Amino acid sequence: MLRHSTKETLIALALVMPFIAIYGLVFIYPTIKMFLLSFTDAPLIGPGTYVGIENYTRLPGDRRFGTAFWNTAYFVALSVVPGTFAALGIALGVERLRGRLQAFVLALFFLPYILPVSVVYLIWDWTLNFQFGIAMHLFDAVGIDRVPVFKSTAWFMPAVAVVTIWWTSGFSVLLFLSGLRAIPPEIYEAAALDNASRWTTFRRMTWPLLLPVTALVLTIQLILQLKIFDQVYLFSTGGRPNDNLVMVYYIFQRAFQSDQGGRAAAIAVVLFAMVVVVSVLNFQLVRLSRGRAG
Amino acid sequence: MYAVSRLGAVAAAAIMVAGSAAAQETVVWWDFLSGGDGVRMKQLIEQFNAEHEGQIAIDATTLEWGTPFYSKVQTSAAVGEAPDLMTYHASRIPLAVQQGILQEITAADWEAMGLSQSDYDAATWDAVTVDGKQYAVPFDTHPIVLYYNKDILGQAGLLTEDGLPKGMESGEAFTATLQALKDAGVQFPMGSVTADGNFMFRTIYSLMGQQDGELMTDGEFLAGDNGEKLQNALAVLAGWTEDGLQSTYTDYPATVALFTSGEAAMMINGVWEVPTMADLQAAGNLFEWGAVELPVIFDHPSTYADSHAFAIPANQGVEMTPEKRAAVEEVIGWMARNSLAWASAGHIPAYNPVTASDEYKAMEPNATYSPLTANMIFDPKTPLAGVAGPIFDVMSTYFVPTLNGEMDPAEAVEAIRDELNDM
Repeated sequence: MLRHSTKETLIALALVMPFIAIYGLVFIYPTIKMFLLSFTDAPLIGPGTYVGIENYTRLPGDRRFGTAFWNTAYFVALSVVPGTFAALGIALGVERLRGRLQAFVLALFFLPYILPVSVVYLIWDWTLNFQFGIAMHLFDAVGIDRVPVFKSTAWFMPAVAVVTIWWTSGFSVLLFLSGLRAIPPEIYEAAALDNASRWTTFRRMTWPLLLPVTALVLTIQLILQLKIFDQVYLFSTGGRPNDNLVMVYYIFQRAFQSDQGGRAAAIAVVLFAMVVVVSVLNFQLVRLSRGRAG
Repeated sequence: MYAVSRLGAVAAAAIMVAGSAAAQETVVWWDFLSGGDGVRMKQLIEQFNAEHEGQIAIDATTLEWGTPFYSKVQTSAAVGEAPDLMTYHASRIPLAVQQGILQEITAADWEAMGLSQSDYDAATWDAVTVDGKQYAVPFDTHPIVLYYNKDILGQAGLLTEDGLPKGMESGEAFTATLQALKDAGVQFPMGSVTADGNFMFRTIYSLMGQQDGELMTDGEFLAGDNGEKLQNALAVLAGWTEDGLQSTYTDYPATVALFTSGEAAMMINGVWEVPTMADLQAAGNLFEWGAVELPVIFDHPSTYADSHAFAIPANQGVEMTPEKRAAVEEVIGWMARNSLAWASAGHIPAYNPVTASDEYKAMEPNATYSPLTANMIFDPKTPLAGVAGPIFDVMSTYFVPTLNGEMDPAEAVEAIRDELNDM
């Protein structure tokens, strides 16, 4: 017996070793290096000398870091919860359709998700460009003043959030749909027999039963949106980049434009800590609320 | 099996090479020229390869302009995978020297290329020099110029007898010309890239130069009254917006479109748009147009320029063979001597014997704006400067709101000074 289990352990090890080796090489090792790098004044490439925690202590007084931090928080607030609820709403609607129509409508909502970000940028630039955007001609026709959507700080983050929700909600819709289909139809029949209103059915049955999926979507969205970069970079090039900074954009600026690998690594560590803290909090909150619902 | 067929292929290739030449050198070349000038560069490369058949072959690749190009050069040089030769912006050289990614162009190189300091304007030569050493060979200078629609200006009676716009001598006179165009019913007297502060840096820096302003003095940004000079420059442009004389929130492609469609009567843009106009006109799709040195808004003429130059990367751990170096020198020297073709892309060749030639002097519109080379100013020499560099981002962030009437010029200058000195 003992020999048998040793053999099994060995086989298991042999099977997971390739993964562990690659994971260690391309994730664990670079992460450790990044932590070490953040304590040096290294350029983008090559070693630097140890400077202690200087890269961290300068961050609270760094205006661009402040902008990046608050913009990221603002963007998360604008996109995560609204995006999740938009996806839930779409999923509930799609679920009521049947057959080919359902497949067609689902495809319409899912299509933007398969687009690369550069295409998303072009589509929305064609729509909202101040001089030639299609939407601006509509504004003219209706008699509203044109709005420089991506060139003014007031409109920038909300607009990027809307674009992001439009772009990424398709995947969340799929997750919600699979959650909805996992709910047994019998309990809806029972509720109908009890003369429960549609709202009560949703509040007492659909919502609690979907909670695990909602939590999953929220967590995925949260981590994804904390790391936002592409859309902000594309929409702000040439515009007001330093007003629109987000964390990853600031890391990019420090590392690739200013050639300061050490300072960039310090910001990356802060972002890493943010993602860890927020994810753990999110997980605990969901667990608590589930405990109450149960 | 794979190894055998691979060996066979290598052998076959070796025989083919041996058949054509005993020792052909391949020069791996990277550039960022993807516009109308890129097409002309490809023609030059083809011509070079044809003339050097069997001796030197350029293997060219065009990469994405700006930060992507420069990041790739830096990372590839660090691992010894950089090309043998590449195009480089003179404004980026201080940063590149700090990063250690460029080889010095030595006296021996200059001699082998058949080029020397006396072939270049002082400002251009200085732009590729750091601490008395040269790190690139200037190929062109590409300033900004004033494009104008001769048809519209002619109808409004705003052309001089030489066919130039009126009011080029002072700020008031030029603004009066813009106002006259407005009164004549032109929607945008000036097409201005007001949505792109990166781009507007060129115009605003020129206007600072017209007041002898400096961006950086002994390592300090906007020292002394330079802040005031920047504010003056911004105030003129902000005033044009206030009076409805220029297009607002317009990005680069939209500005070119406004001008070429005739909605904007004038446009300040780089000489690299000359091929766009020339090609459109050749196809019969454009009005009569001209390009001329920027108007003197302040004290004296001054125009911002950058220079496309050739640089040799410092590949870590890889020693360039003397044969390869000789081939690279031949490419650079040949390109300089044949840069007349490059002038058709609007750029001003840096090699003076070419610009002094009769053929060049007959080229239009180049000949009209060429005198501006006497008034060119380049970026300040700091690792923070250069196209797609950190200074650009700071400027852009405050230029855009100021040029579109959202921010007061004085407030913008204050913020720019703080942020620049933060870096």
